Amino acid sequence: MSAPTPSTAPIGEEFAVRAVPEALAGAPAGGIEVRGVTKRYGSAEKGILALEGVSLSVEPGTIFGLLGPNGAGKTTLIKVLTGIAPITEGSASVAGFDVRRDPMEVKRRIGWVAAEVILDDDITARENLWLQARLQSLHDWKERSEALLAYFGLTDRADDRVGRYSTGMRKKLEIALALLHQPAVIFMDEPTIGLDASTRRGLWELVTGVRREFGITVLLTTHYIEEADALCDRIAIIDHGRIIAEGTPNELKARVHADLVRLETEERLDPARLQALPGVQQVSPIGTGWQIRVAAAEAFLPRLFATIDTTRVQRISVDKPSLETVFLQLTGRSMDADEGKADFRKFYVQMRRLRQ
Amino acid sequence: MMSQLWGLYAREVLRTFRNPFVLAFTVISPFMWLVFFGSSFASDAQYLHLGTNNYIAFLLPGVLSTSMLSIGMFGSMSTIQDKRFGFMKRILITPTSKGTVFLAKAFGAATRGLIQIPIMIVAALVFGVTFPLSVLDWVAWIVGLMFLGIGFCSLFLAMTASSTDWQTPGVVSNFITLPLMFSSSYLVPNTTFPPWLRALSDVNPITFATELGRSFVIGGGTPGIDLGYLAIWAAVLGGIGYVVSARYLKVE
Repeated sequence: MSAPTPSTAPIGEEFAVRAVPEALAGAPAGGIEVRGVTKRYGSAEKGILALEGVSLSVEPGTIFGLLGPNGAGKTTLIKVLTGIAPITEGSASVAGFDVRRDPMEVKRRIGWVAAEVILDDDITARENLWLQARLQSLHDWKERSEALLAYFGLTDRADDRVGRYSTGMRKKLEIALALLHQPAVIFMDEPTIGLDASTRRGLWELVTGVRREFGITVLLTTHYIEEADALCDRIAIIDHGRIIAEGTPNELKARVHADLVRLETEERLDPARLQALPGVQQVSPIGTGWQIRVAAAEAFLPRLFATIDTTRVQRISVDKPSLETVFLQLTGRSMDADEGKADFRKFYVQMRRLRQ
Repeated sequence: MMSQLWGLYAREVLRTFRNPFVLAFTVISPFMWLVFFGSSFASDAQYLHLGTNNYIAFLLPGVLSTSMLSIGMFGSMSTIQDKRFGFMKRILITPTSKGTVFLAKAFGAATRGLIQIPIMIVAALVFGVTFPLSVLDWVAWIVGLMFLGIGFCSLFLAMTASSTDWQTPGVVSNFITLPLMFSSSYLVPNTTFPPWLRALSDVNPITFATELGRSFVIGGGTPGIDLGYLAIWAAVLGGIGYVVSARYLKVE
């Protein structure tokens, strides 16, 4: 762990990310390897194939996103990797241990944050932490527990029953539980589902803060494209139980879609000269200027500026493709085409938990 | 495993004491049996060859024993609640085995069943029952009831291990509670039973727990045999429950 860094400006006040106290210095991050994992529920003939030949690799200390519509198999993959559901075929290892052969070793090294926020409402936050410490057979956990309560701003309410907590507080307590035993990997299933927009942005800050401050590997699932884009170092797009694309957010966008650079200048430009620049796919006149389709605007713009007279440029704009267009191009469907079916199920589970 | 078992057991006990409603009704139902049923038969006690003229003294060990039946249902319901609210996932994503979850539920529910004992004893004192028990007698009686409860709870948990339906424990309860209650010596001595019912009564663990209590409160009987039988009952049913849960306990 590096020395604590100064706190960053929070977006949501409630989720202010602070420097981590010494007591919370964590274990080294671990990676995840998934090799040809298939998961079938029920019989071979009639069963549901939830995952089909999924392979992926998560580098230690990174945030990896599983992006896909509801029912794509994201939660199933988390269940398989956390040892809750057995693998039908293939193999997987988490933090250096095989999920099938050493499930208990894996479980000692992982934290889990549920989509529905799963806590024991009838007992207090401190008691929830105590229970988690017992379940993880921890001995010197008290200092960490108090440091986590302080880090998440829950100390004042730590002896209140969790049933009286707000949604944001519950989410933070759940993350504190996941961090208590210094895990190498944290699984977050739809971490922001059911949260309002500002709480969601606050939680993004928190997740990146947790990764930065604790140096933990995070595997999260989401069906919010902007969330995957904002949080993840790498993303796997999953659909119908298969991974259909994988890479950094920028790589994914570059793979299926080009950037559009629009340029207006007083200079008379020869389209052939623009076309000759590396990475240029297409040059076409648009209005009084030019539209240039390029592989990546970041690489193209310096070359463009070296070629043209920059003092005579009147207007220049860059349009980046979004992951939405990536998904659309790969599957022929929009991400939220079937929004509102499975989504509501999880939402209602959460509502039931928050019955008061 | 001990760390996880202690954590989950303490959770069960904490939750019981945090819920005054559950706590009250755990006690009220056996209390009503004792007071209403006991009082209605009190005047006929002399005709029943009970070994005592106080019917409440005769009834108390039976009431304490049969109420251990209902706590099996509570243990099973709290397991189904954990499955439905996802808490079972939270437990099983830690290095905790399904067998440990089972043991915590069985011990936790049996402990809940013991809560009523002091209150029932006080109620019985008010009705003129005397307790000529030594400390060892008290311990043997409580341990016997604990054994009975662990056995019943194991039975319930094994039968509902793969269920996630709220209705299952109630259905299972109806199925096993009444036959076990009425084929025991809970309400009347089993000496007057027809031979087939007597045969059932002679292997019924409720009979053993009831006779154990009576041998302390009224005198006579074979408390050593009763306690031994209850220990075997708890061990066998507990073993079955452990194996079935380790194999079939559903996560959600």
